[in-house]
Amino acid sequence: MLFSLTEDELNLLVIVVDVNPIWWGQQGQREPQFTLSKCLDAVMVMGNAHMAMTRTNKLAVIASHCQDSHFLYPSKSWKSGDSGGDEASSSRDGKYELLSVANNLIAEEIRSIMAKTEVTGNSTDTLLAGSLAKALCYIHRFSKELEVGQEMKSRILVIKAADDCALQYMNFMNVIFAAQKQNILIDACVLDSDSGLLQQACDITGGLYLKIPQKVALAQYLLWVFLPDSEQRSQLVLPPPAHVDYRAACFCHRNLIEIGYVCSVCLSIFCNFSPICTTCETAFKIQLPQMVKPKKKKLKQAA
Amino acid sequence: MDEEPERAKRWEGGYERTWEVLKEDESGSLKATVEQILYQSRRKRVTQSHAQVRLGMMRHLYVVIDCSRSMEDQDLKPNRLTSTLKLMEGFVDEYFDQNPISQVGIIITKNKRAEKLTELAGNPKKHTAALKKAVDTSCVGEPSLYNSLSLSIQTLKHMPGHTSREILIILSSLTTCDPANIYELIKMLKSLKVRVSVIGLSAEVRVCTVLTRETGGSYHVILDESHFKELLMLHVKPPPASFSSECSLIRMGFPQHTVASLSDQDVKPSFSMSHLDSSSVPALSLGGYFCPQCHAKYTELPVECKVCGLTLVSAPHLARSFHHLFPLQVFIESPVEDFLENRFCQACQGQLKDKNVFACPSCRSVFCVECDLFIHESLHCCPCCIHSRSAT
Repeated sequence: MLFSLTEDELNLLVIVVDVNPIWWGQQGQREPQFTLSKCLDAVMVMGNAHMAMTRTNKLAVIASHCQDSHFLYPSKSWKSGDSGGDEASSSRDGKYELLSVANNLIAEEIRSIMAKTEVTGNSTDTLLAGSLAKALCYIHRFSKELEVGQEMKSRILVIKAADDCALQYMNFMNVIFAAQKQNILIDACVLDSDSGLLQQACDITGGLYLKIPQKVALAQYLLWVFLPDSEQRSQLVLPPPAHVDYRAACFCHRNLIEIGYVCSVCLSIFCNFSPICTTCETAFKIQLPQMVKPKKKKLKQAA
Repeated sequence: MDEEPERAKRWEGGYERTWEVLKEDESGSLKATVEQILYQSRRKRVTQSHAQVRLGMMRHLYVVIDCSRSMEDQDLKPNRLTSTLKLMEGFVDEYFDQNPISQVGIIITKNKRAEKLTELAGNPKKHTAALKKAVDTSCVGEPSLYNSLSLSIQTLKHMPGHTSREILIILSSLTTCDPANIYELIKMLKSLKVRVSVIGLSAEVRVCTVLTRETGGSYHVILDESHFKELLMLHVKPPPASFSSECSLIRMGFPQHTVASLSDQDVKPSFSMSHLDSSSVPALSLGGYFCPQCHAKYTELPVECKVCGLTLVSAPHLARSFHHLFPLQVFIESPVEDFLENRFCQACQGQLKDKNVFACPSCRSVFCVECDLFIHESLHCCPCCIHSRSAT
């Protein structure tokens, strides 16, 4: 069935937003009409839409900064029904209280994070693996706190701005396999440059990958492509899956190769045969060409 | 005849007062003790790890399932055969998840003979389908250990030296009918470096003890169904490689996945080599994986190319095994009172309610019990350590 009419199915959406301040600063100078605050407005619209679809839908938002990830929503210090939140939540336009509280919290937290966190170094790449790992732990904790008879389906939406960090390959793959095992979809909405890691993540977990042609229309893309959940997606016409390059990169030159040699001990990939593995320093047995015995000629030589 | 002294059997020791382990608290409830026992058994699984030991990554495993008359016994519900086959399906899935470049074959033995249910293959679907169909086989006669072992040796002895050769026997009968001296066969297994492990469903059988001891495998007898599952899952992890296994550089291909649709210009439909010998009508399809050496098409990886013999894998398959090579260090357990300043678990943002918390030795972040288990069993990397930029 298209929409779950029972209250027994929980749908948890975790949005991971890349807030690398260096990239966003440069972006603010390139295109002043699309800044971090516009991006977060689109995220809030998406979050509100998700929570408004069904009463049992849940949301979490994580901001992925240079060296750490912070949960923007739900916040640790806020509990639902807290009287201290009344001033913030008294919505002036009659909005559903949960949505306005969420928006205010997200806005406050991101302001305090951007103000407080010091930026060390000038790295323009983003460390997504850590934020994804925290998202998975959060989802895992949520699934343990379910009541009897409730089922949960979860997915993670990644909004990526800056480039990939190549050093993260192994951690990223670990996170992707953990997500695949728990049946958690990873969707990716890429603002700037294509990311091979996220393409692999979406392919392996069954999510959607989309590189947006126009950043100012972010909210439209989020609502059209990423709002429906996995059951409903089969009924919609969505962007086709991207072609994923699964070729491996050799350890010696970092070139993408189609045929390579793999060490049986440490699984490192090389493009050429070498007698010693550089990673684990095992000496290999070299396959010598086999001796061919000369065939005995039956014909006698002409005298 | 055997050099090793036998360990004392359970009935030879004194009485084990198992009731003394349980202690009641003030209100007379056993809940705290039960929780502690469960908690300790979960922690045991996490802390056993083979660090710094070379593991056999590419494994060739034959599973021998006993289909003799004793498998109709109903002590495992609904009967032993159905329960075993169900657990085997889970085992096959888990095995290919943890060892993507390995292969499994299934042999069944009954009526004093052994026959292959599936050949050694790297694709889990074939095995799962065969296991589902095997539920209907009749359990008749006696198993034959000798025949099943020699059937597996016929294929395993041709496997290259750098792979690990293993046989796992699930034996429920207490007897075996062998045409020749099995001790000779055990000597041959030892010389071929095949490791045989046995899971017994009834009781300990002496010939299995000798078999596993000589070849370096493990022998366990199940207590109940959940113990059976646990023992099966012990065999999923790659075993430490034997001292004499060779290390070599294996030539592998990494094909590209071409996704084509009818609207593309030069798209040509082609047959997939893996479906050519299946009984259903082989279907033409547009996209797929093309072998980089001979351009034969396959629909799934990993596979060994039938035309040119090149092993085809994709990079994520190799990446799945990395967590065995770089295992995550065990977190330090400490009472929660030491960490009063932040009462929240740094991974899941939940409040720290348990008596003990776990801290990562490198980054000193604090995690709760559930997150610690999840991190060690599924995630294999500390969420806070991977925020740093050091290359791994």
